[in-house]
Amino acid sequence: MAALPRRIIKETQRLLQEPVPGISAVPDDSNARYFHVIVTGPEDSPFEGGLFKLELFLPEDYPMSAPKVRFITKIYHPNIDRLGRICLDILKDKWSPALQIRTVLLSIQALLSAPNPDDPLANDVAELWKVNEAEAIRNAKEWTRRYAMDN
Amino acid sequence: MGICWCKEKHEESESYFPQSSNDNIDNAIQSVTPYSSAEYYMENTEKGCPDSSIVDKLVLETLGIIGTLVDNEQEPPPSMLRLHNIADNEEGWIQVVKSMVQVIPMLDPLGPSVITLLLDDCPLPSRESVLQVTSMFNLSAQSALVDRPNAPKQRNICVVLGCIAEKLAGPSSLGILTDSTLDYLITNLDMDTDPHVILFSLIALEKFAQTSENKATIIRRLQNEICCPISKLEQWINEEHFVKRQVGFCAQWALDNLFIMTNRKFSYLTVNNSHLNAMLNTSDVSEYLKISPNGLEARCDAYSFESVRCTAQADSGVWYYEVCIITPGVMQIGWATKESNFLNHDGYGIGDDKYSLAYDGCRRLIWYNAKSEPQQLPRWQPGDTLGCLLDIDNQQIIFAVNGKEIPPCTHVFSMARSGFFAAASFMSFQQCHFNFGTEPFKFPPNVEYSKFNDCGVLEPESKKVMPRHIYLDQLRQQSVREDSCTLCYDKKASVRLIPCEHEGFCTSCVGQLTECPMCRSAIHLVVDDNT
Repeated sequence: MAALPRRIIKETQRLLQEPVPGISAVPDDSNARYFHVIVTGPEDSPFEGGLFKLELFLPEDYPMSAPKVRFITKIYHPNIDRLGRICLDILKDKWSPALQIRTVLLSIQALLSAPNPDDPLANDVAELWKVNEAEAIRNAKEWTRRYAMDN
Repeated sequence: MGICWCKEKHEESESYFPQSSNDNIDNAIQSVTPYSSAEYYMENTEKGCPDSSIVDKLVLETLGIIGTLVDNEQEPPPSMLRLHNIADNEEGWIQVVKSMVQVIPMLDPLGPSVITLLLDDCPLPSRESVLQVTSMFNLSAQSALVDRPNAPKQRNICVVLGCIAEKLAGPSSLGILTDSTLDYLITNLDMDTDPHVILFSLIALEKFAQTSENKATIIRRLQNEICCPISKLEQWINEEHFVKRQVGFCAQWALDNLFIMTNRKFSYLTVNNSHLNAMLNTSDVSEYLKISPNGLEARCDAYSFESVRCTAQADSGVWYYEVCIITPGVMQIGWATKESNFLNHDGYGIGDDKYSLAYDGCRRLIWYNAKSEPQQLPRWQPGDTLGCLLDIDNQQIIFAVNGKEIPPCTHVFSMARSGFFAAASFMSFQQCHFNFGTEPFKFPPNVEYSKFNDCGVLEPESKKVMPRHIYLDQLRQQSVREDSCTLCYDKKASVRLIPCEHEGFCTSCVGQLTECPMCRSAIHLVVDDNT
């Protein structure tokens, strides 16, 4: 294994010591660049009550390039496609090395509270979100119940 | 390496259909499918699930075609895209899994890798589908015994279980590893089972153990057995039978890294590496590659394309090493400088940039700068010897399989004249053994050459191949100084950015930036406050 950069050691220590409310990010036993993430669906969103599993990977040149994050739990959201890939500017061209794992996960949680159908990744979902928001929200709740709740 | 479709590459495309069609692929597909090409591409959402025989065919087509794809930027083959669409609804996903288990033959060197690739790129299954699939297999200690004669199917089931366990680590993985699933996998570890089935049962257990509750369950279960079955399998580590040898390797790795038994000493404490002066470099390897405690054998069981360099550097003269091929699948073995990057998650390895050159004897290709050239040697088989000769003085690299040479390669010397390391990349489930001169060579070249083990130097500490959990624990205890750069936490913070006046960075981090990481304003000037 390549030597682990101090930046990653520092962020890992802090994530474990001062966890972010509603988010758990645990480094893999054997790979310090891979985090098992669980985000709880924000209150007053269609995702409330759901536990969403994600994977987060810090690439070789992190923090000069953004972490790679994707949802592993199925989710009905205009900015998240069926492979779990997320459309979020800070994960792409708006990345800054001053951002961290914790800020990225907070932004993803915020994206669940505020879907943005005008910048879609899942086109059919975005379309419905624009023309019939009530039905889209019903779908999102149904998917949350089906895929993101344990029982 | 040509057969990895990573998330990045689809990132900007909105559909999963080929943007441009490739004539050759079209022809191959039309000859075996009842669908017209238009339907084939245009059918946006699968309604229900096609007949199982169609899905079986699509799986076999994907398997057949995947070894011929060599361009990293290429779209996945239509059969694979169609499978993705079928798998988009739950019934379809289950059928795709069923078909893979039924039709993937035991001896195709790419079989298990294709199962992994397909499942990794398919839409995510729901927990119910996953549970439905596992209950459909009807796994138990009994089924492991009764179904022993159908080894290919059992092997494929184990590959699928491993993929699902990895993909859905967490609550779903817990849900699948029921008592009967665990009974099934443990019963498969019996030495009388087909070694292919043992191998993938062991790998499945390893993937289940990524979820910590599962790991605890498996360890408890192993401790309850009269004699730990994995410990028995560890004895196969030097087997001449190459599938058993893989089992031995994986058993040892699992006991050192995952299923730690109180009465067993870690291998790195018992192995004698005093004769080693060159080995695989445990500090110069991508995350998931497994390296044996003797530092000379490596294996990949992840779906990424894992790479490693050796410890000794060649700057002039003629150098030779040999590799014993243990698995017949895709490995790119050759030479690389330190400038060559291991982009394991994007499918790039040795031979995929300008600073490395490699031979892949499965697809029979020379790789340089991610481009390949076909070669005339037969496909490599377990037990074959790959010879790698680097002649820096005459600027040529010569590969040979069992002494049969392919024409010299010169490409890499336009970019590098020194600083070469033996290096290799591994697709999932591939393994090989390196000989840097600790043993006699089987096919020594007819020229004068040097051996790394004669010339290399290694500190006793760096000869230790420590299990990762021990290594990571040591790393995490390192402390970080308070006045360090807020980007790398490595060097001292010393510079201030003008005009925004943000500070707390070091010169080497700021050197890689054009705008302030805090406010994104352009950096006009960097002031070093220390001088």
